[in-house]
Amino acid sequence: MNKIKKSVVLMILLALTLILFTACGSDDKASGSGDGVVELKFLHKWPQPEYSVYFDDMIKKFEAENENIKIKVEAVGDEPIKDKLRILMGTDTQPDIFFTWSGEFATKFVKSGNSLDLTDALNKNPQWKNSIMEAGLEPFTYEGKNYGIPLRINGKFFVYNTEMFEKYNLEKPKTWDEFLVVLETLKSNGITPIGFGNIFPWAGSHYLTGLNQKFVPQEVRMKDYNPKTGEFTDPGYVKALEYFKELNDKGYFNSGVNSTEHNMASEMFYGEQVAMVYVELEEFSEMEEGLPGKWDFFAMPEITEGKGNKNYLTGAPDGFMISGKTKHPEEAIKFLEFLTNMENSLELVEVTGWPSPIIGAVSLDNSSEYLVEGMNAIAQAEGMALWLDTDIHIKISDVYLPNLQELLNGTKTPEQIMKEVQDMALEVQKEAE
Amino acid sequence: MNMYRNKKIAVFFMLPAVIFVVLFIYYPIIQNFFYSLFRWNSFSPDRVFVGLDYYRRLFKDPVFYIALKNNALYAFISIIVQVGLGLVLAAILEEKAFRKYQTFFRTTFFLPAVISITVVGLLWQLIYNPNIGLLNAALKAIGLENLTRAWLGDSKTAMLSVIATSQWQYTGYIMILFLIAIQKIPEELYESAMLDGANAFSKFFYITVPQVADTIVVSMIITMIGGFKVFDEVYVMTAGGPGRSTEVLASYLYRSGFRNDEMGYAATIATIIFAITFVTTLIQLKASKANKEE
Amino acid sequence: MKDRSLGSQILFLITFLMLTIFAIMIIYPILWMLISGFKTNKELFLNTWALPEKFIWGNYKQAWDIGIGRYFLNSILVTTVSITLTIIFSSCCAFALSRFEFKGQKIFLLLIIGGLMLSPQVSLISLYKLLQKLKIYNTYWALIIPYTAFQIPFTTFLIRSYMVTLPREIEDSAYIDGCTSWKVFWYIILPMSKPILAAASLLSAISVWNEFMFALVFIEDSKLRTIPVGLMNLRSTLSTDWTILLAGLTISALPMIILFIIFQKQFIRGITSGGVKG
Repeated sequence: MNKIKKSVVLMILLALTLILFTACGSDDKASGSGDGVVELKFLHKWPQPEYSVYFDDMIKKFEAENENIKIKVEAVGDEPIKDKLRILMGTDTQPDIFFTWSGEFATKFVKSGNSLDLTDALNKNPQWKNSIMEAGLEPFTYEGKNYGIPLRINGKFFVYNTEMFEKYNLEKPKTWDEFLVVLETLKSNGITPIGFGNIFPWAGSHYLTGLNQKFVPQEVRMKDYNPKTGEFTDPGYVKALEYFKELNDKGYFNSGVNSTEHNMASEMFYGEQVAMVYVELEEFSEMEEGLPGKWDFFAMPEITEGKGNKNYLTGAPDGFMISGKTKHPEEAIKFLEFLTNMENSLELVEVTGWPSPIIGAVSLDNSSEYLVEGMNAIAQAEGMALWLDTDIHIKISDVYLPNLQELLNGTKTPEQIMKEVQDMALEVQKEAE
Repeated sequence: MNMYRNKKIAVFFMLPAVIFVVLFIYYPIIQNFFYSLFRWNSFSPDRVFVGLDYYRRLFKDPVFYIALKNNALYAFISIIVQVGLGLVLAAILEEKAFRKYQTFFRTTFFLPAVISITVVGLLWQLIYNPNIGLLNAALKAIGLENLTRAWLGDSKTAMLSVIATSQWQYTGYIMILFLIAIQKIPEELYESAMLDGANAFSKFFYITVPQVADTIVVSMIITMIGGFKVFDEVYVMTAGGPGRSTEVLASYLYRSGFRNDEMGYAATIATIIFAITFVTTLIQLKASKANKEE
Repeated sequence: MKDRSLGSQILFLITFLMLTIFAIMIIYPILWMLISGFKTNKELFLNTWALPEKFIWGNYKQAWDIGIGRYFLNSILVTTVSITLTIIFSSCCAFALSRFEFKGQKIFLLLIIGGLMLSPQVSLISLYKLLQKLKIYNTYWALIIPYTAFQIPFTTFLIRSYMVTLPREIEDSAYIDGCTSWKVFWYIILPMSKPILAAASLLSAISVWNEFMFALVFIEDSKLRTIPVGLMNLRSTLSTDWTILLAGLTISALPMIILFIIFQKQFIRGITSGGVKG
């Protein structure tokens, strides 16, 4: 009996060590590029099967066309990738091609030499360059050079339940005052007006992205978002927080916003427990799936007392950068060209329903009229207000964002929060020097 | 024995363990202090010497004090609940009347300790969820509707909710330590106490507690240190939020290093964790020795 | 006398009731996790308490296929190797510390046991750098080696305090017969220490199996992830498919629960004979 037990244990141990060594061994083989095969590491942020399938297909297709290139893909979710990228960047296992948001989030990698200059590559291939919306490329530039290729271009909109709006004779609000009337009407009829999940405060920062843009003059805001010159003393910032807080104080959000996930809020919208959600263009296809034919959208309404440009839209491109340390820059560029060519962009729209920044990729042929309309809104906008959380220095963002939860919980006032933001901005300024 | 005086052989036996411990426990701690003197981030080769600046900043940093307070609360509640309740439960289960049920309760109470913290954290996150969670549903079911809330989303309850999860998970673990200790108490002590007409309570206070004093100290050290190095529960359940209300030292360390690109500051926090856990252990060990010598 | 027994009976009942409530508080959430794993999302939403209308085994299969399966094997592998190394190194070390007499013994003892006071959090950043220098970052070894190092102090402490209590007559005669210290260790001391070795392995296995922070930072490849970190990944993968997540949680928890229920006698007996006290 005992002997059997022993031999079983021994066998398991042996088998396991074998797995261990073969697993490590195969890794070694993979990273070495012995027979002229180049391996590229590719990191994106969509582990969800419904999206990752697109990348897997693209890789298969690309590998078939380029037999000397192998692509090793890795996907990390939206929240964890913010840390993961930083952890990875500090190691030898740095990915050759990696996902990044635009704005300061990307600039950080540029400044530390972790991002390859793509200006020449784009200029050499004008057809490629001209096929990409300027609004998609511009936020990835630093000191006049291109560093990133956008995969998507997102706008943020309020999506609403058309049946509920009709029932109470409501229309798309144009101004904030009209918006408040809509909210009040819904609420007084026992409907929770907006579903909102702020457990990860990027969700709240998207409200603030729009509100800050509407309240603060453009030049002032740009100066403040620059780590070297940021002060955040404009009274508009406090106003923006106050407006945001009002939505919660008046009961226009569901209860427990700080422990609700963004997805849960969408779920409530599909279940018709709430009348609206604040979502990105990329989520439009999910809206159609969750509440087919019963929704429409509008941009964040105008604020009359605001000093910001009225023709701006909240939204930003996100996409990919190539590592500054990559051993195979040509192959990596080739892959990005491949990923964003017309044919594959059409497929991106087809499979994922995402808004592609390739001009003409989103059309009525392959997308809903809403998505096309949303894309038009982006094209017509004078400019974009990039996501607050990725457009300001990470340390300021790390004070700003958690404080949005405090704001909604009523534990901190707008003035207190801006004071903390200002202090951190000064510290960041000092370190930037 | 002559064989046992051969130092070379002894060292040979100890060598692997010593190398591992020195290289992967002691060396990193020294290295960590060195890292805390520089401003650097994980992905840039630049390293700026800042001396003790980060330590100065730390002592002025309000988030540091929030974290410290949360850790202290964690340790305090854990000691009260895990050590206190664990001891009482163990004593009850060792009572003659409960012996035949002991296996069942012992197994049940210990069960959560073998489940990974991620599982427990994610599970409780769902239980605390205001919309689909069990807790609010249970409160409604027994008519305590006004107690329902967004447990993890409310700064007032978030930390306590996280701590409660930890108690759920580890009280049974500490209880087992006490069960073992109580089983070692000589039966005669209890028998003679019975003859003197002692009841269950006096038996507990006059025999059990003094007899397991050592285990009390050990388990207090374990839970205390546990309270100051907690990371997983917070990272999984709240990631420090809402606001900074559930930030603990280790989560602040992680956030500073791997999100805010301040490795030096993270190393500074690590040094503080080291100082706190080291000193509390020393104090507790000293106290227990003094206790023994009395 | 009769009154007293009535009183103590009431006391017994109240205590018993309280123990039962505790037990329910522990079992129910686990049961809820198991059962909810069979539900549809909508059922979970609308009817938290009820049993599922139809048991959806697909949830469990899906959770397994999405990644739990792979994470599971990784966890088993990392845990087994770490524990094996830990036990070998610790028992050797404990043998030297409990049997040999030499100058500086106390220092070595302090050095090893002192490791108990140092928490892994403190070493996170240095280890992140060190493992890269050793070129084992993002391999199984990046977990196995730190896990082993951090388990050694506790297991050595445990095993040593057991070995100290072992009678010395047998080994004495073995030495007279000309056995080497290695043979004495391997054929006499180790077999006698079996109960504590089992207990030490189980205790270490639990903490290695559950370790999260190192696994979060030292492994990047999703193919190498262990269960605790893998589950976090699963969570962002599944976004709102809570029932599949719950199924995944159940799969990850079940083996340890079963293992514990089967081996709990050995486990508790082991600790009993070893004694965790100082």
